[in-house]
Amino acid sequence: MATGSRSITGLLLCRAGDHRVAFAAHEVVTIESPSTFGGLAGSACRAFGGAAGAERILVAASGEAVGVDALEIDPEPLTLLPAPALLGRVAGGSLRGFVQVRGGLWPLMSLVDFGRFLAPSAREAA
Amino acid sequence: MPSTETETRQSYLVFACGSSWYAVPAECAAEVVSFPELTRVPGAPGHLLGVFAHRGEVIPVVDMSLLVSGESEPTRRAVLVRLTRGTLALTASRVAGVSQVDGRLEPLGANGVHLHLRGPARSAQRDVAVIDPEGLFDHLSQGG
Repeated sequence: MATGSRSITGLLLCRAGDHRVAFAAHEVVTIESPSTFGGLAGSACRAFGGAAGAERILVAASGEAVGVDALEIDPEPLTLLPAPALLGRVAGGSLRGFVQVRGGLWPLMSLVDFGRFLAPSAREAA
Repeated sequence: MPSTETETRQSYLVFACGSSWYAVPAECAAEVVSFPELTRVPGAPGHLLGVFAHRGEVIPVVDMSLLVSGESEPTRRAVLVRLTRGTLALTASRVAGVSQVDGRLEPLGANGVHLHLRGPARSAQRDVAVIDPEGLFDHLSQGG
């Protein structure tokens, strides 16, 4: 295990276009569809330079929300690799680290902070 | 931080990305690697190509050509620069090796990334821009 790494259990592994992004399951209170979600959700695709749009909306207890194209739940304990110091400010400081699973690295984001980071672009798209 | 005196006794790893040659202090150039398919990081600027895992560490990869000249240079090779704050990978299309650098080490620009590139300098008949690794790290950390 790498220096500074720790274990994390219960992740939502999500797709945003061709890209990967993960969230801690305990941060997500509901998963909604765009047609039923009444709030403002930014699309994770926008953070990769893609077009807005999402199939599922992950909603935090405090109301922040992020749209993704697809998701699956991984209940196994995984090693959380620390985010490089160089990336401390990307996406509004919402990057929490990386997990290595399903043959790739997945950026683990704070749902609340990532939702806040995406919110201005969600308002622009509205 | 590099001295502004003409010619230091320091050794540098000299490499190219695109049409430009760069020199990074050999003491912080850990290795030259071929990196695998990268994982994009949401919200990262375009010159930050993505990350890969290397010996249990997540390494960000910076496209030096895109960062400095605005033109991307596709390559799968990079120089790993190891600092106390972390490691970063600078893309390298060619690697000349370790050598001395002659010239002045003044900033090549007043702002942006050019503030952290020094010169004019030469190594083995090549014009090189000497990278101030700590300054470059600060610049990139601030989203530059």
